[in-house]
Amino acid sequence: MRDIIELNTVSKIYKTGEKEYRALDNVSLKISKGEFVVILGPSGAGKSTLLNLIGGMDSVTSGKIIIDGKDISDYNEQQLTDFRAENIGFIFQFYNILPTLTVIENVELVKEVVKKQVDAKKALESVGLEEHLNKFPNQLSGGEQQRVSIARAISKNPKILLCDEPTGALDSKTGIEVLKLLKMQCSKSSGENTVIVVTHNALFAEIADTVIRVKNGRIESVTQNQNPKMVDEVTW
Amino acid sequence: MLKKKVFRDIKFNKSQFVTIFLMVFLGVFIYSGISSYMDGMKNGAQKYYDENNLQDVWVVGSNFTKEDLEQIRELDNVNAAERKLTVMGSIDNIKDSTAQINFIESNDISKFHVIDGIKFDKNEQGVWIDSYWAENNNLKVGDTLTIRYNEKTFDQKIVGIILSPDHVYDPKSEAELFPTHMDYGFIYLSVNEFVFGAENAIYNYILVDIDNVKNIDETKLNIENVLENAVAITDRTHDLSVKRFEDEIEEGNTYTGVFSGIFLFIAMLSVVTTMNRLVRKQRGEIGILKALGFRNKKIALLYVSYGFWISLCAGILGVILGPIIVGQIFLNMILTYYEMPELLVVVTWKTWLVSALIIGVVSIVTYLSCRNELKEKAIYLLKIEEPKTGKTNVSLDKGIFKKFGFSTKWNIRDIMRSRIRTIMGVIGVTSCCALIICAFGILNTLNDYIDWQLKDLYNFEYRIALEEGYTDKSFNDIVSSYGNNTSQTLNIEFKKEDKKEINTITVDDANGLLRYTDENRNFLELENNGIYVTRKLAETSDLKVGDTVTWHILGSDTWYSSQIIGFNTNPQNQNITMTKKYLDSMGIEYNPDKVYTNTDLSNIKELSGTEAIQNRESIIDGVESMLETMKTMVIMIIFAAIILGIVIVYNLGILSFVEKTYQFATLKVLGFQTKKIGKIFIKQNIWITFIAVLLGAPLGYYMAYFIFRMAMADDIDMMAKVNVSSYLYGIVGTIVVSFIVNYILSRKIKTINMVESLKANE
Repeated sequence: MRDIIELNTVSKIYKTGEKEYRALDNVSLKISKGEFVVILGPSGAGKSTLLNLIGGMDSVTSGKIIIDGKDISDYNEQQLTDFRAENIGFIFQFYNILPTLTVIENVELVKEVVKKQVDAKKALESVGLEEHLNKFPNQLSGGEQQRVSIARAISKNPKILLCDEPTGALDSKTGIEVLKLLKMQCSKSSGENTVIVVTHNALFAEIADTVIRVKNGRIESVTQNQNPKMVDEVTW
Repeated sequence: MLKKKVFRDIKFNKSQFVTIFLMVFLGVFIYSGISSYMDGMKNGAQKYYDENNLQDVWVVGSNFTKEDLEQIRELDNVNAAERKLTVMGSIDNIKDSTAQINFIESNDISKFHVIDGIKFDKNEQGVWIDSYWAENNNLKVGDTLTIRYNEKTFDQKIVGIILSPDHVYDPKSEAELFPTHMDYGFIYLSVNEFVFGAENAIYNYILVDIDNVKNIDETKLNIENVLENAVAITDRTHDLSVKRFEDEIEEGNTYTGVFSGIFLFIAMLSVVTTMNRLVRKQRGEIGILKALGFRNKKIALLYVSYGFWISLCAGILGVILGPIIVGQIFLNMILTYYEMPELLVVVTWKTWLVSALIIGVVSIVTYLSCRNELKEKAIYLLKIEEPKTGKTNVSLDKGIFKKFGFSTKWNIRDIMRSRIRTIMGVIGVTSCCALIICAFGILNTLNDYIDWQLKDLYNFEYRIALEEGYTDKSFNDIVSSYGNNTSQTLNIEFKKEDKKEINTITVDDANGLLRYTDENRNFLELENNGIYVTRKLAETSDLKVGDTVTWHILGSDTWYSSQIIGFNTNPQNQNITMTKKYLDSMGIEYNPDKVYTNTDLSNIKELSGTEAIQNRESIIDGVESMLETMKTMVIMIIFAAIILGIVIVYNLGILSFVEKTYQFATLKVLGFQTKKIGKIFIKQNIWITFIAVLLGAPLGYYMAYFIFRMAMADDIDMMAKVNVSSYLYGIVGTIVVSFIVNYILSRKIKTINMVESLKANE
């Protein structure tokens, strides 16, 4: 399968005063389309930085990032915004849904930036929230809120779904449900997207097509999983 | 260590702390400036009257003899008494001048404040001249004045440039609200210099200094009993000079009270919101401190110290700079038309108390804000705060709401979620808009006063004041040359039921050269079957159309009854008016004291039988130059209102921006362009500004209305007038300020770091 993401000698350096902090150091990497990728590593390893750079939330200090054949490393602010709107769906640990909009409004919000949106209702049905369309976020449980954010992400029909510790704030049972939903989104399962999940939970490796281990801003290993397990098959 | 935290927090939340500092400072600065000015006027006048021994009682009459004076001096409670001969004349050295010439025997009452030259001495030749008048005409000690009185001229050298407590407010006539120091002033001479000889001086005033002011009424009665030739006996409460200055303080207290009150209110509103938000932002840190084992009291003290120290510094600076900058400037302006040696700002305990209260309120608000957080357990404080919902959960998917776009719905919900902030915003911007409109309205009303009084009511070019005891010949000469358009002012006492009041009646025979207006400012044709009272007099004395008023001329015991047949309005004189025909019908003799004409009198140097000739244009010029001073004060208020407006709009903008940063970051992540987010952000502030402007415009008018209609002294009845242009200045000014501030803020959206904003939320 062709590569959808390619990183060539990417570095990200943060400067605070005179001190430099190398969050990513000369990283090169390829991810194929339709895979379920898990990025593992301890805190401060550079996982989230990697995810943010791929998602166009941040820009590289050096190196190149090619997404679906386009080099985004030279994009300006506006181009990056358009890139995110058309290509990327984000899911965060703390959901980041707007508290003043209802469930359906939070998903419909995407209409404002994407031309072809998956019907919001359908997206919410696919995550099992059809009963809660007109509720407000504070009337939902954590798992339900995360599902709203998944519905919002998939309703954009993005090429890549980026998830930063998506189950971090959930209990294990709800976490499993969310993982199942995410797994379903990649084309190797039944969906159309490439899904990248950042976590420090090593068990995620068992369900991934590819496991990337990050340490001290470098790629420690990239492992292809020939027989990824179903979410239910893992002992969480 | 905690102290370090205080300093670092202040450093990291610079803009909020600067706002609090500025708001407290501006509020206290304006308040203390204005109150030090008012208290300075009050104290200054009292000190001046005391030090220079202003008389307690004025006795007006004709030909007071030495025996009369002795009789008064011998009365109980009388400390001292002096005679004075006051006549009107002119000075040839000064163009178009009218001079109040006073001949005195001694100067222990209403003692001169000598600015240059010598003290009064009966045996000294020469003239003591009003310092304001001298300065305006470049006259100095040693110059010779050619004084013209009763068709005689005599030369006198200036021996003193003086001020007198009896002439603090000294307009040329009661028809002029503002004194002009160019063509009118007072001079004093020893009675030995009286042109017709000291022995022929016919004293028309006795000034009385009494021991115990409490018994003044009794003393006045005693004077009335011993002096048969006294026409009027008045005390300080009825003296034009004293009363006008007191009224000025009273008026000032009201309208500056309105202004400084609103300033303080807006400032406090802003401080309260900012402090509240600031503490809530520190929620997580409060949680950490609690988790570390800090006691609630210690944490509360830490946060209270934020508000306390900042507002203490701002308050002290405000109390120090307000009087120096605002107070002294205002006092110096006041000194351009009130004649006093010097006025100094006075900072009373009230000002310190108000400042202390403000500091207290800021500290209490800070305490209350952090108390709410402190009530929670540390573990909950460390988690993200559940967004306040309140009535957020309103359904906007029915009816017309359904058609609203995302940004409209989002803004409606955001407003509902942050109702307090929104209400504060509306109140703050409304007040600023109202302040600007009101300040411009004051300018409009003052200009309108010139049109009303000097163009509508005065329909003549020249007013000739006739000399007391003029001859028939000179009167006939005047009216045959300039027209028989005259009036007479009767000094009367009127009573309704048991209440008695001193006032005047204008008897009109001016054939339209004096005009009258009704309550709607339409011209009024006077009928000949009763009297007209001015609206304000009717209000203060509880008079109605149809009431019967009984009155008598001062100095006569004959009482008359007249029915009120209408109200008229007059901006500066509250009295009674009747036609000559009505006076004739009562059998009272008409003795005109003023002649009005449209003939050009600019070349007339002297007119026999007259006291003064006044040109309407020069009255207008005088008033306009005096209004310039007031306008400067109003412009300062407008300037302060604009600064306040900018700070408030910016402050509220920052608050709402900071609160929404996380949501904006999310929108950015989703792919919303900065411009689009900017539009969403500005939308809400446009609504707030729009509502505020709608409320601010009528409020501005009512503030001006209140100031002119309710708060002014009893004899002033101006109608607040706010021009369309003033509304436009207020509205456009507010919108422009709001737009610029929001534009600057919306540019900040570009700088939101998505990663950090979202992380911060975690």
